[in-house]
Amino acid sequence: MPVTGYLIVSALLFTIGAMGVLVRRNPLVMFMSIELMLNAVNLSFMAFAHFLNSVDGWMFVFLVLVVAAAEVVVGLAIIVSIFRTRHEIDVDELNMLKG
Amino acid sequence: MTLQVIAFFVLATVAVASALGVISFRNPIYSMLSLILNLVSLAFFFLMLEAIFIATIQILIYAGAVMVLFLFVVTMLTPEGGGISGPDRLRWQWGAGVGLGIILAGGLIIALLNGSLAADAKTAGLNGLSQAVAHFGNTEAFGQALFHGFTFPFEVTGVLLVIAVLGAVVMSRRFVRE
Repeated sequence: MPVTGYLIVSALLFTIGAMGVLVRRNPLVMFMSIELMLNAVNLSFMAFAHFLNSVDGWMFVFLVLVVAAAEVVVGLAIIVSIFRTRHEIDVDELNMLKG
Repeated sequence: MTLQVIAFFVLATVAVASALGVISFRNPIYSMLSLILNLVSLAFFFLMLEAIFIATIQILIYAGAVMVLFLFVVTMLTPEGGGISGPDRLRWQWGAGVGLGIILAGGLIIALLNGSLAADAKTAGLNGLSQAVAHFGNTEAFGQALFHGFTFPFEVTGVLLVIAVLGAVVMSRRFVRE
């Protein structure tokens, strides 16, 4: 497969993730959409690593994986603490800075 | 068509369909299972790109550990019927989101097709991935690059993980008001 095939799949996945963040109301599903976007970028990094014959793409994917794990931990903690104070997680209802 | 092209198209279909599932299922549990399918299909893509180690940690860490953490929180916060009920106050978001998504996908794909990627790809090859893989083996090549060229980012990543763990502990602690 040429590199363009992988990049088009990656672009489609990234777009679907961005649409999920824009459209959905559940912060957990928005979070999953962010994961989709991160993984889409990972796929294009891997494709470039393979076709540019360079190991740097692997390193970036590894670092993105770690950052994604850290981001999930902190984000889920934020969502849980919002749920504790407001007893709802609809992002359209969360329109006050002070809970 | 060779076997690899067929595998590519099957995997691409699975990946895009499961990504659409993530944003369209009503119940967040189904969204999450769909996301796991997406992560596994990406791991197979990585295998096709000859990155065995990355494919392994994609399944072990991402589809395994991170998604289990997700599953705990989803089951904790999802009410009985699944998903958020009640009227949608911002219905226009759907039209706007889909419109912007189509614009983004079109822009990205036009940029890809017009770009000079394919021409550059032939002339590059500075670090010699295939050479390193042939010389050391797949995982060893990864380790060589990680601990020789990328030592500082690796250390910074460790600091980041510590900060994330501390932040999660601080934020999820139950504050007792006297």
